Amino acid sequence: MSDIVFELTEVHYSYPGKFPALCGIDLTVRSGEKIAVIGANGTGKSTLLQLLDGLIFPHKGQVSAFGERLSEWAHTDENAAHRFRKRVGLVFQNADIQLFCPSVKEDIAFGPLQLGFSTKEVERRLLEVSGVLDIRHLLDRVPHQLSIGEKRRVAIASVLAIDPDVYLFDEPTAGLDPSTVRHIIDFIVEANLRGKTIITATHDLHIIGEIADTVYVFGRNKQIVREGAPESVLSDRSFLEANNLVHIHRHHHNSKEHLHQHMPLEPHE
Amino acid sequence: MYKPSHRKSDFIERSILSALAFLKDATLSEEYANRRGFLQSLDPRIKTISFLAFLVTSISLKSAVLISALYGLCLILVIFSAIPVGYFLMRTLLFIPLFSLCIVLPTLFSAVTPGEPLWTFHLFGINAIITRQGLGGAVLFVVRIATSVSLVVLLSLTTRHSELLKVLRFLGVPQIFVLTVSMCYRYLYLFATMVENIFTAIKSRVGVVSQQQQGRQIVAWNIANTWNRTTQMSEEVYMAMLSRGYTGEPRLLSEFHAMPRDWAWLFCALIACAGLLYRGHTL
Repeated sequence: MSDIVFELTEVHYSYPGKFPALCGIDLTVRSGEKIAVIGANGTGKSTLLQLLDGLIFPHKGQVSAFGERLSEWAHTDENAAHRFRKRVGLVFQNADIQLFCPSVKEDIAFGPLQLGFSTKEVERRLLEVSGVLDIRHLLDRVPHQLSIGEKRRVAIASVLAIDPDVYLFDEPTAGLDPSTVRHIIDFIVEANLRGKTIITATHDLHIIGEIADTVYVFGRNKQIVREGAPESVLSDRSFLEANNLVHIHRHHHNSKEHLHQHMPLEPHE
Repeated sequence: MYKPSHRKSDFIERSILSALAFLKDATLSEEYANRRGFLQSLDPRIKTISFLAFLVTSISLKSAVLISALYGLCLILVIFSAIPVGYFLMRTLLFIPLFSLCIVLPTLFSAVTPGEPLWTFHLFGINAIITRQGLGGAVLFVVRIATSVSLVVLLSLTTRHSELLKVLRFLGVPQIFVLTVSMCYRYLYLFATMVENIFTAIKSRVGVVSQQQQGRQIVAWNIANTWNRTTQMSEEVYMAMLSRGYTGEPRLLSEFHAMPRDWAWLFCALIACAGLLYRGHTL
């Protein structure tokens, strides 16, 4: 049996108004891979994740998941949709979008309930994932009362409760405090060690060394402009500069202030 | 030199911000529902059924004295549910009886409710007569409104909104309706905060809005902007639902556990209602 999870062939996608988001993407993802998708704002990273999750469909080219072409069945055929949703989970960038139920408990239970798990199994998963993500004390809270970090953990729990084979993360560490970032990175690494396929779209180049074995860089032309191991991609200063991916900080050194480029994989001087 | 009319411009801003603050406080605060108290400890289904029984009793009774007894029971429950009585009275009695009084005012007079004259006085050259029957009807109406509203407020104060919504499902309301209302409730706070932030952003850039016309324009922009963002967000939320297996027929979590004390409370509540109704029938 093939271990290919996703196969994208010459995929094009445009938003209404003909604004192109992806222009000819070829990509193959194998089971158990740990992939990071990086690129400047507006290069199509989130669109790619939505395509992989069967939420939108390409205007040209094709997306296959587990050997089957993704098309409208992902919305219309309940059995096929449920089979696919049990295997692929997307953690959205904006947790407020993902947490639409009136309580944390119901949000976590929503996915397993829709996918036909028994109430007993849903309750078991609820307890398990809330323990794993350390959010048991939040279960009866309403999502709008949570901090951003808590919301993000609940959003991850809502996908973890489905226990999919493939996790898609859209900017999982954006705007979070360091300890929550650490918690989420650990979760991603552990999920991959358990055999899960991980695809993460991120701007946070400092975490890529831990969360990815392969990096795909999306360029302004809405295409993959480079792929490779994190060490080779993230040490290419001129390439990162050309693609708006170098962190530039203003520093004070001995009462002098200067701008300082910060490469993701090199220690700060 | 142009002097901005702060009072007028403040009116628009203050109205909107006060409305949002009230919305957040009245609809979304669960401070009292999270306290340890008698009503908070009851199964929400049993509690809702007992309060429905109280409401039906309040509407059915034709004696202001008996309805007042029900109101007394309501106040006792307020005390045992760790809700400050002053806050509860402010919330229920300040405006509602005032509004209901305005409604029943004409029925006090003999022109609307003929009967035994109680008090006669001259008003703008007209001989006004307040009748015993008119006054009795008005008192009954106001007491009934105050009691019914107090019961509903007490139920909503002592029950988490998510639980109240689940009770709707138990009462047979379709799941899709409950899910829609749940999501409205969920995003109300988000959008209220968003509108507040827009006003703060406007204020930080242009200072106090100085003209009424400009104020109206800003409110219009605000409405358009909020509309755009809600539309965009609704599409994204639908995607998030699809992503977790939603296919048009929602299945929601239901986990109520009625204990013997819940059934004992329901029994006592129903007995109290039956007693009051019997007493009202024999009066």
